[in-house]
Formats: sequence, C-alpha cells, structure tokens
Amino acid sequence: MTITSAPTAPRARPPAGRRKVGLNARQNKAAFVFLAPWIIGMVCLTLGPILASFYLSLTDYDMFTAPEWIGGQNYVKMFSEDRRYFQALKVTFTYVFLSVPLKLAFALAIAMLLNRGLKGLGFYRSIYYLPSLLGGSVAVAIMWRQVFSYDGVINQFLLKFGISGPSWITSPDYALYTLVALAVWQFGSPMVIFLAGLKQIPQDVYDAAEVDGATPVRKFFAVTLPLLTPIIFFNFVMQTIGAFQAFTPAYIVSNGTGGPADSTLFYTLYLYEQAFTNFQMGYASAMAWVLVAIIAVVTAISFFSARYWVHYGDQR
Amino acid sequence: MANGVSRRDALRYSAAILGGTALAGSSLTRAFAQQTARVRFAGYVESQEQLTQTLAVLKLYSDKHPDVEIVPEFTNFRAFTDKIATETAGGNAPDMFSVNVDLLAEYARRDVSMPLDQYIPDPLDLTSYLGSAVNAAKFDGKQYAIPNDAIAPAIFMNQASFDKAGIPIPAEMWTWEELREVSAKLGKDLGPRFWGVEDAGGNYIPCDIFLRGRGKSMFTPDHRLGFEPEDMEAWFAYWKSMREAGAVPPGDVQALSSNDDPSTAGIVAGRTAMAITLTDSFVGYQSLLQDPLVLHLMPNGFEGGEMEQRHYSYAGNSTSVSAKSPYHEQIIDIIHFMHFDPEGARVFYEGSGMIPCSGILRDELAQTGSEADRKIIEYLNLLQKNPAKPRYPGVPGMSGMLGRANEGVAFGQLTPKEAADQFIGEVSARL
Repeated sequence: MTITSAPTAPRARPPAGRRKVGLNARQNKAAFVFLAPWIIGMVCLTLGPILASFYLSLTDYDMFTAPEWIGGQNYVKMFSEDRRYFQALKVTFTYVFLSVPLKLAFALAIAMLLNRGLKGLGFYRSIYYLPSLLGGSVAVAIMWRQVFSYDGVINQFLLKFGISGPSWITSPDYALYTLVALAVWQFGSPMVIFLAGLKQIPQDVYDAAEVDGATPVRKFFAVTLPLLTPIIFFNFVMQTIGAFQAFTPAYIVSNGTGGPADSTLFYTLYLYEQAFTNFQMGYASAMAWVLVAIIAVVTAISFFSARYWVHYGDQR
Repeated sequence: MANGVSRRDALRYSAAILGGTALAGSSLTRAFAQQTARVRFAGYVESQEQLTQTLAVLKLYSDKHPDVEIVPEFTNFRAFTDKIATETAGGNAPDMFSVNVDLLAEYARRDVSMPLDQYIPDPLDLTSYLGSAVNAAKFDGKQYAIPNDAIAPAIFMNQASFDKAGIPIPAEMWTWEELREVSAKLGKDLGPRFWGVEDAGGNYIPCDIFLRGRGKSMFTPDHRLGFEPEDMEAWFAYWKSMREAGAVPPGDVQALSSNDDPSTAGIVAGRTAMAITLTDSFVGYQSLLQDPLVLHLMPNGFEGGEMEQRHYSYAGNSTSVSAKSPYHEQIIDIIHFMHFDPEGARVFYEGSGMIPCSGILRDELAQTGSEADRKIIEYLNLLQKNPAKPRYPGVPGMSGMLGRANEGVAFGQLTPKEAADQFIGEVSARL
C-alpha cells in the first residue's frame, strides 16, 4: 500500500498556493479510509477495553465466570481492608519522589556537560542515551540483579576496601533504592530533551550576563535554569507519569513477587498479582482506575504549580 | 514511476489487494481445516531437558499423523499460570494443557477442563498408575486430568558437605529437631557464608508435612484449612529458631534463591548442604552439581512424638483437555501416544527428568534410565511401601502468601504469631 501510494503523493497534492480552505466530501472519504486502521484500532483496542475495565472495576470478576455486579465494594475494600494496598502505595510514592528529581538532576548535569561544544558530541550523546534504550528491557533488570546481588560486582568492589556489603536487592532495607538507582541511570531521554533545550538558549543572554560580571554559578541560576523551566516542567510531568507506572524492573528484580517482604511491591506489580495470580480481575481494574486518578491529580497539581515557576520566553 | 497512478487508482488497488488477501486467507484456512486438526498444547516444564523431550514426542506424533498439527506453547510454571488464565478468560483456551493439583481444582470447578471418564480404561488404562496421583487428578469424583509424572517431597543432601564436616547422613526416619541440630552444625563447621539447609518456611509442602506431624494438615479434603493458628505459629517459629541457630541463611541471602531458576538454589550455588524440595528438581539440580546428591526423607515427626511416613506422592504435571476444543478425539490419541505407545513414551520420559506416573513405564525406566532416574524411582518405591494420606488441593497463589509471611519473620517485621495470622487471613479470603 505504501509502495503504490507514496510516489503519487507529490503529484496528487495541489500546489500550496492554490490550496483551498475546507475539504470536499471525496477527499474526506479518502482521509477516513486511510485513517480507518487507526480509528478502528483506537476504538476497539484502546477505548473499548478502557470502558470495559471501568465496568469490571464495579464487579467481582475471576476471568472465568461472568462478572457479578457489586457496585463500589472493590474500592471500599481497597481503602479499608487491604494492608498490602497501602504498602504498594507507599513503595510507589517513595519511588516516584526519589527517582524523578534525582533522574532529572542527573540528566540536566550530563546535558550541561555535553553542551560545552565537545568534539564528537553525537557519539557521547548516543553512549549516554544507550541505557534508556535498554532501560525498559528485561536484560538490564537481570544485569542489575547480578550487579547488586550478594556476590555481585558492587560487593566485590567494596570487599577490596574491607567492607562486606549487604545483599542489596534481597534486603528490604536497600531493595527499593537499587531500583531508584536503576531508574536514575536511565536518564537518557530527559537528557536529550534538556540538551535540545540548552541549545535553544540564545548565546547573547549569556554574553550580556558575562558583561555584567556574572559568575558561572550565577549564570546557571539566573539564566540557564529559568529559561529551561518549560523543558524541566515537560520532563517532570512525563517522568512522573512514567514512574507511577514502573513495572518491568521490579517484576524482574524481585521475580515477580515484589519482595523481599513486599519492599518493592510497586502499585502495578500488586495490580498484576491481583489480576493474574489471584484472579481478582475486578479488584485489579478498580486499582487501575485509582492509579489513573492519582496520576491525574498529581499531573493537575504540577500544571497548577507551573504558573508560579515555569517561565515561557514570550511571557517575559 | 510517478506518472499514471492517481490517488483514486491507488485507493482502488490497495482495496483490491487487501480484499484479495483476506479472501485468500480465509479460503486457505478453510482448506487447511478440512485436512489438518490444529491442536494447541500449552504447558509448563521443570527443566530444559523436559522441554526437549516433550517437543520431541509431539513432533514424532505429528510426523506419524500428518493430519494433526500440534502447536506447542511451553514455558515455566509461573509464566504458564498467567498465560493460561488470560487466554482462557479471552475465550482462547488451548485445546490441551498442563495442570497441577491446585490448578486442576480451579479449572475443573469452572468447567474449563472436561471430565475424561469416558476414555478410561479404554483407551487410557490407568490401572498401573500411582493411585494417589490418579485420585489427586479427580474433582467431584470425576477424572479431570491424566497424570504424567510422579513426584514427592524430599530433602536433597550434598554428600560432599556432610563428608567435609564429618557428619553422617541422618537416619531414614528423623525429627524436625534433628534437622535443626544437623543444619546448625553444618553451618558452624563449613561457614561463614555456608548454612545447613535452605529456608523452607515459605514452602507449603514441607509445611503440610510439618502440620501432619502435629496431627493436622494444610487443607482438608473438603477444601478448608486443616490446622489451628498455633500450628502455623509453630511453623514460623521453627524457622525463626533455625535462623537463630545459624542453620539456614538469613533472609537477604535466602531471597537470592528463585523457584524458577535451579542455578540460584542455595545447594547448587554452594551456600547450603541441603535443600527441601520436590523430586522433580532432582535431575536438574544434579546436572548443575559435581558432587553426588542424596535423596532423603524429610523429618517425619517430632522428638517424643509419633513417627510415621508422611510423604505423599502425586503428579506435578497432568494433562487436561479443554471442554470447548473441537479435537477431543485427536487429543486423547496424543495423550495415548505419549503414555502408551512404546516409542512415544520412551521419547517423552527418557532423559526428561520426569518419572512416569505409570508403574509399567517406571519399571522400564528403572532399567534404561540414568543414575538420577534410578535414585528417584527407588525413593518413590520406598514411599509406596507405606503410602501417606494424599495431598489435598489448595488455592493458587498460596506459595506467595506463605513466602511473604515467612519473609516478614525473617526480616524481623512480623512475629511468628503475626505471620500466622496474616497467612491464615490471606488464604481464608481465597477459599
């Protein structure tokens, strides 16, 4: 399909000057035909299941027998009886509050380092971006498990200094922090965006600051940071949403249990366990909707706060 | 290239191509359906060897029966339970699939599996099969699965560790107190970073045997809890005392072991001298170890209490048939081939690490199988001399509940009593 239609595209499109506002019916039809796969996909594969999951969240559904309507009972149970649910919330919020700021700070620091007119910038950028490409993958989580295990690289390194390290990933005191470290290490995608943002800051602003005798530190806080706030805001929102949904690393590192002793019981992991181990699909759907609500509230707060700290160039 | 094809033509051509493909596709499937039965067989395996042999026997069957195409979908147990639940819920259940005792109850109760009584004893004659395994594959008095293998709980001992510490292998009948004593001594003599036995506090079969030593059991035949809270508290307290005695690894070291990966097991990784597990892990563990392993009975009672053989044998892996499959006849023939055809049965079992549930095949394997196979068969025969009461079905996810409670104690977050309450609460909610 693409092969036959692609070459015709330039010819079929009217020259820019002659283009009329509004499309005639025939063109509409063609547009819809070409959009159809996407629209069908969205309705059947996204919108349908989303609505179905909301219905299921109000039922007792074990995946085999027909769902049974129980109203809001799943939601009530979640907040009144389920101790593990609160543990999952605690773990997830800790993870979000630690990993997002650390990751952004790290990404910004590396981006500033790379923004100093280095030779072979493209090469370094690719190297630093690499962990993020591998980030969501099972392979990296397995590697992390090895690095931080009892006989792993970290402990062997510590042993050289006479320190007998703990078993990082299997101790409830450290397990969550190794996952935070894993998230921070995958700083590539915010870094690339920061780098693009840094390149947008006009050199003359820095020149002016220099003429005024600003120190590098002053330049960072008075020029770079304020002009970068829209980018920081964008990265912050995207990373926060992503962090709430973290699943793969915890699943792999804890072998799908959220252990040791529920210390890495991420929200999504618990949801998955309820759905596929305990066959409580109705309850799991309710959990999913509460997660949507949590992410919506956090995002709304971010947007609300943005008017106080995000500076868009054209509003100055 | 660019001239001669208008947008309208492009649309028309693409529609024609799409339509043509769809038509061709459907007529192709129809033509195939007339000749070939496409049987999806989903299951779990315990080892690479088992997977190799299972795929080999299915291929052999397909080669002999060109009209049956078998689509194998095998994975490890954990992934399998998720996959089968999702596929079944989506109305896409495989035609035949593996079950264990707990899954069988779950799928039979919901009419996903079909009763197979009409095929017994002809063509599937289970007379020589292990009675306890055949019974464990029944639900509501009907036979819902054909047991493939025979397994039993056991404790594996690394002979070399015992020799090194100068400790003799314990007597066949021994107590939980002796296990603690021997393990603590092994840990003391061969440590640091070495312990007597892996922490089995989160493993429900040894827990069941422990409870039976106290005259109770994990579940009752009518699917209820078969013990009192103080029995479960005693179980968690026992493992706490094991940790304090240096007999088992501390919580953070124990957590390095994963059920799905034998190479992480303490006995294989060289952290412990013993492991409490099931006989179907024996071949896998032994293949990863240089030192010979001894298959031994777990403790069968307490000091001053009644000593009795309490190890039940059952099937770790049975084959169940989807009630909705259109290929019942072919599926029964495949099962027959795997169990009763001399060539098929040999390929299915030999070198797979599985011990056949069929007595006839077990006797054959004792002649032709490996040293490890012989050891397992000998051990299973020992158990049959004085069979224990059978294992009663529990609930899926139970290992996770017991494991979490035990970890809670290991990491000092729960007392044995709190752990017992937590476990009982979680299991009761699922019964």
